[in-house]
Amino acid sequence: MMMVDNHLQTQTQLQSEFQYWFPVLRRFGPDDPFFASGNIERELLAKQIALDLTEEEKQELRNLEDEYSEVFCPIVGCGATLKSLTDFEDHYNARHTSSCSVCSRVYPTSRLLSIHVSEAHDSFFQAKAARGYPMYECLVEGCGVKLKSYKSRHQHLMDKHNFPSTYEFFKKSRPSKKERMKKIQRKQKHVAVSADEGEESSAMQVEEETLDGLVSAVSKLTTSDSSPSAISFGRRHTRGFTFVPRAVQRETKK
Amino acid sequence: MADESAATPKSDPIKNPVGNTAAQKRKQNAVSVGKERREALFRTKRLCRAGVSTDTDIPIDDNDMMIEEEQSILESQTTSAVQELNLAISFQGKGAVQKKVNALRELRRLLSKSEFPPVETAIKSGAIPLLAQCLSFGSQDEQLLEAAWCLTNIAAGKPEETRALLPALPLLIAHIGEKSSVPVAEQCAWALGNVAGEGDELRQVLISQGALLPLAKMMLPNKGSTVRTAAWALSNLIKGPDPKAATELIKVDGVVEAILRHLRKSDDELATEIAWVVVYLSALSTVATTILVKTDLLQLLVQRLSSSNSLQLLIPVLRSLGNLIAGDVYTTNAILVPGHEITDNIIRALSKCLNSEHRVLKKEAAWVLSNIAAGSVAHKQLIYKSEAVPLLLQLLLTAPFDIKKEVAYVVGNVCVAPAEGSGRSTLIFDHLVSFVRSGCVRGFIDLVRSADIEAARLGLQFLELVLRGMPNGEGQKLVEREDGIDAMERFQFHENEDLRNMANQLVDKYFGEDYGVDE
Repeated sequence: MMMVDNHLQTQTQLQSEFQYWFPVLRRFGPDDPFFASGNIERELLAKQIALDLTEEEKQELRNLEDEYSEVFCPIVGCGATLKSLTDFEDHYNARHTSSCSVCSRVYPTSRLLSIHVSEAHDSFFQAKAARGYPMYECLVEGCGVKLKSYKSRHQHLMDKHNFPSTYEFFKKSRPSKKERMKKIQRKQKHVAVSADEGEESSAMQVEEETLDGLVSAVSKLTTSDSSPSAISFGRRHTRGFTFVPRAVQRETKK
Repeated sequence: MADESAATPKSDPIKNPVGNTAAQKRKQNAVSVGKERREALFRTKRLCRAGVSTDTDIPIDDNDMMIEEEQSILESQTTSAVQELNLAISFQGKGAVQKKVNALRELRRLLSKSEFPPVETAIKSGAIPLLAQCLSFGSQDEQLLEAAWCLTNIAAGKPEETRALLPALPLLIAHIGEKSSVPVAEQCAWALGNVAGEGDELRQVLISQGALLPLAKMMLPNKGSTVRTAAWALSNLIKGPDPKAATELIKVDGVVEAILRHLRKSDDELATEIAWVVVYLSALSTVATTILVKTDLLQLLVQRLSSSNSLQLLIPVLRSLGNLIAGDVYTTNAILVPGHEITDNIIRALSKCLNSEHRVLKKEAAWVLSNIAAGSVAHKQLIYKSEAVPLLLQLLLTAPFDIKKEVAYVVGNVCVAPAEGSGRSTLIFDHLVSFVRSGCVRGFIDLVRSADIEAARLGLQFLELVLRGMPNGEGQKLVEREDGIDAMERFQFHENEDLRNMANQLVDKYFGEDYGVDE
């Protein structure tokens, strides 16, 4: 028996932005590039005998279309032109997959990678930032502006460079399967334990706090609370946090 | 013109003198196809090498000695030939006609035997006004034929060379009327076909000078190479982008009937050119489409698609079907009704195309299927249960990118019910689950990874269906296993905002905090 999903729209915000798949009739004009290879084939077949084309020549001519289908690398700031989609794959793997040796996060340029390393793994950086120096570089190459916090940099990107609010340089981490299992076990343990231990565990739970919570917490850090922290949002295959900012701990304990 | 030397075997030196030396030279020298040759090949113009076939008593030149391939010699010979023609035209004594015919014949040989005919030289030497003079009313058939043949090959050249024919156009059009002898009419039609193939500007000129109607009438007889040539010329004339010519053509008395008759009974070569006419009629003119779908054209096209093995014929037949389906919902709603024999036949024929070795057939067949799949739920079920499905799955995983994309449209359309107002699309669970469990997700993730915006969007849209529709978190596990999360995270640094948003939304919603918690 065939079933059809009839869910009503619930989360309006999410749904209104996503472009869902809707079946539509697709029509092309006779000169549309979609028909180009068929048109070429028509001429090839009509003239092949008169022009005495060999099989190799015919194949070469058929493949010509691929030659003309240039591909532009869509990664922001790259601008590379590739000859084909396979070339694009090679290009992407060669140029846009610099990974961080500490947390394995991947960045599309070496500049962004080095910015990440400073911001996420460098206690020197954290120290200066905590003292109020503008340390957070604008991500747009050539801009040069530096901001005092992750959030204000995010704001700058939106105001000056039209970045969308969804653009997160530090993408929230997704826990690996191991971490997910640990989390479940922890939750099960807590149920059986008294309220006292509940406080301790809430600190541990901060490890899995949302990005927003931590970001806002970090941005609330003042010079008096100068305990640098390495904010390390591990990727799914790496370990979780090793260090949590004291200010954040203080907040959640209430 | 399907192929002017189709009836002659390649090894016949008389009918195909260009063949041997040219081929040898080419094999000795370059390996790849040179630019000039390539350009000549891709033009929708056709050189006339062996003349229009004729059963009158106009003698075929049997003095076809091998033409000297050396370009400079060819050019000087051409200049001489034009000078001779000039003299012959001025000559007023006895045997004037024969003199003219001989001069024309010499020029014609030079313009039809070598690989790159000396068109530019001919024009520079002033051939065109002379040739136009030779087309004057009352001239002998042989003279008309040779002159038109010369003009045909001049018009097969570069754009500026084709344009040079402007002064001769009205005369060429005049000679395709009913009063002309058949070979003359055909040769003139061929020349006009080349002119029309040059571009829109020249097409408009020809139409305003009244070329459409007489050419259309040449398509009405039952058989003959003239019908074929006229159909080819017409396809060049109506190909737009202005739909007026196509709309005018369909209204000419007898045209629709002739199209149907030819598609029903004619040989592959003629049917091919007729099918191309239908391609342009259906692509450009809604009037034409509306008229054609009410005839049994679709039936005939489906029959040809099923029974033919000629790639030349299959391409325009398939495309005509595609245009008629895409151009008018009547086709899918009223003719290709699930349960009707024609519907089963078309799906079978399309599956045959999917299974073909020819890239064009695979791609365009998938396109046609995707439009049928955009129809009612019953249409989707029909495709889902058909022999097309295993072919589609295989193509999705292994075919070249452009074919993959079309197949993706089919699969997605089969899994989503017709739109009912705003909001989320409605899934067809059975179809989605079956396709996903047959391993199609990897193919869609390939699309997500590609640099093509449309393909990436398709991939993300399908992943949304998978993540939303698969039961018990199966979708998430599958997507993760196929490195789908990685593929979606790439979009963080992608310059397209829509895609960034879509990818972010999917990752946030389906691989966020709660992912895996309920295991």
